[in-house]
Amino acid sequence: MNKRVKRLALGAATAALMTIGGLSPAMADTVLKFISWQTDDAGTGEWWRSAIAEFEKQHPGVKIEFTKAERSSYADTMTTLFAANQPPQIVHLASFEFQMFADSGWLEPLDPWLKKDGIDMTGWAGQKTCQWNGETVCIMTNYFGFVMAYNKKLLDEAGVSVPKTYDEFIAAAKATTKDLNGDGIADQFGTGHETKGGPGQYLTEMLNYIIDAGAYWTDKEGNITIDTPEMVEGLKRWKMVMKSGISPVDMSASDVRKLFADGKMAMRLDGPWLYGTTEKGTAKSDIVYVAPPLTPPLGGSSNVLAMPSDIPDDQKQLVWDFIKLTMTPEFQRTYATMGGNTPPSPKADVSGVEKTIPHFPVLLQTMKEASEKGIDRVPTGLELYYNEFSKMVVEESQRMIIQDLDPAEVAKTMQAKAESIKG
Amino acid sequence: MTDTVQAGRRKFFDLARPSRQHFLGYILIAPAVLMVAAIIVWPLILAIDLSFQQVKIPRLGGASRPFSLSNYTWLFSSQEFWLACWVTLKLVVVVTAGSVAVGLSTALLVNNKFRGRTVARLGMALPWAVPEIIAVVIFAWMFDTSFGLFGWLAIQLGFADQMIPWVSSSTAAFWAVAITMVWKGFPFVSIMCLAGLQSIPSDYYAAAKVDGASVFQRFRWITMPLLMPVLGVTLVLTLLWVFRDFSIIKVLTGGGPLRSTQTLSIMTYDQAFQYHNFGRAAAVGVLTLVICIIASLLMLGRRSKSIY
Repeated sequence: MNKRVKRLALGAATAALMTIGGLSPAMADTVLKFISWQTDDAGTGEWWRSAIAEFEKQHPGVKIEFTKAERSSYADTMTTLFAANQPPQIVHLASFEFQMFADSGWLEPLDPWLKKDGIDMTGWAGQKTCQWNGETVCIMTNYFGFVMAYNKKLLDEAGVSVPKTYDEFIAAAKATTKDLNGDGIADQFGTGHETKGGPGQYLTEMLNYIIDAGAYWTDKEGNITIDTPEMVEGLKRWKMVMKSGISPVDMSASDVRKLFADGKMAMRLDGPWLYGTTEKGTAKSDIVYVAPPLTPPLGGSSNVLAMPSDIPDDQKQLVWDFIKLTMTPEFQRTYATMGGNTPPSPKADVSGVEKTIPHFPVLLQTMKEASEKGIDRVPTGLELYYNEFSKMVVEESQRMIIQDLDPAEVAKTMQAKAESIKG
Repeated sequence: MTDTVQAGRRKFFDLARPSRQHFLGYILIAPAVLMVAAIIVWPLILAIDLSFQQVKIPRLGGASRPFSLSNYTWLFSSQEFWLACWVTLKLVVVVTAGSVAVGLSTALLVNNKFRGRTVARLGMALPWAVPEIIAVVIFAWMFDTSFGLFGWLAIQLGFADQMIPWVSSSTAAFWAVAITMVWKGFPFVSIMCLAGLQSIPSDYYAAAKVDGASVFQRFRWITMPLLMPVLGVTLVLTLLWVFRDFSIIKVLTGGGPLRSTQTLSIMTYDQAFQYHNFGRAAAVGVLTLVICIIASLLMLGRRSKSIY
């Protein structure tokens, strides 16, 4: 009996030790979920990975699970996760989609965290966008300015110089749009716009022409300002570009960028991320980056970092440590050197970046210009209704193009509908 | 006494007894019923409940909002809803008719004996085997306005003098969606009809031939009536597929341009994930379900009468 008890006790002790031994590493590890659409982006994805590696080095036992969700379904994924009470601890959102989450009270106010660490956000590009109901709910990760990339060889062949104004841009685009094989179908385009992505992307493409015409959707107080002569001019330009054949139609952003990178398009107005594609294209050596001929350059906030309001306090501290790490001058510099992006921090040392990214001064210049002019893709006062608003603008623009409507009438319709959406 | 109670229990749980055999059936089917309840009935109840609340984004376990009919009031007064109903109806009619026409024709063709029949049957079933999303991406390339195969063919064959704006013209976009759906949907009709055709005894055709019936008469008076039970069910399943299909339209046109391809399922998605109006989205979903049930009952009822 005694032997039996001993055996049982020994067995139980061994089992307990094995269980503890087997479980302890897993239990000691805290895993923070971080979902992003940028995991595979050339440069930017590597930058995120370097920040994660540094964070994990500084926090032994804490792992960041970096997972990809496609940009096209990103908002759906995040909405589902938040609705199911399963948000990722590190919240990465586009600057035009965080408002709905903030409005539902799902994002942690960051002012106490900033105050605790004495972080001064003065001069941080685009940070104003992260204010929601008087509170800071996110940190702006990227604020950009559009540049123009052109194919020198195609412009030289057409005998046109680099455009400096809207009229010169259209003339150059017309001169470089060609049917190369004579089958009646254009296979080289002057420029290109994405019109097949989401409504938000469509609006971004349109905005190049609209702000050059001196118009915008709302004023600084959030009043709708669509029914103006400037907007009519902007719509007229967009209609002309879409109907004249200088741009391929119904294309996704990646298709347009690929066409340009492979020398089938002469000029492309785009953000800093175009560089990653052109570096892999066959026309790489012919591509030059300059300031865009449409002024002020389109720019604005791109994406933000935030944290959910209902995760445990210890996790909040870890998430804040990660956000803080990405905000350090060192990581703000590598955001430029590795990612080819314009860092929003005014303290970032970006000297010498042009050695690896020759057009970096142009990116900085357009970002500053756009920031000084207060340009953003998300109109003031319509943040919560951005998707509905952008879909309405897309539909009315399509109607204008398909049914050949007068832009003045279209501006009136858009004004009325935008006011109705805003309520 | 104890023995009597135990014997009574044994009798009660004796599933081999004829009077208890139905219990076995219930026990066996219980896991499936529970599974269906968990993954279909419960979400359905949630959706119905949500449709009567004014809610933007719901949260699991969150407090319910007060009962409201506002989602349905908005829906019935919304032009968008009636347009989506009209587009769905058009698509259901065109795609179902197209799928049945192509599917029945190919089934009749491969039901005959000829060299290469096995390959033809395989080719007929191939679109069904291709994952829907892959098929749609391929069709999206072929319908591309700038470089697409269909536009190029139209120019080469003289049907058009310039590329057809498949995705940015309301009429062309509708037909692009319909063609893709028919291509994806006809193999199912073919396979079902082929199975039906093979169950028709060949004696009937032999006797009709002896009586001097023509090919058309044999088709009209033998094939069609005997194929009706299969065709009826196939028709209902195809109709329901067109009703609920989302990915083809979403990838090809996204419901545009000018909502010319926005069906009820696309509208449900847009309300939920684009505009974050989950209450309204649930209302559209519930009404779609009601329409589907009514359509199925009507069609099955008609088919039942014609068969029996």
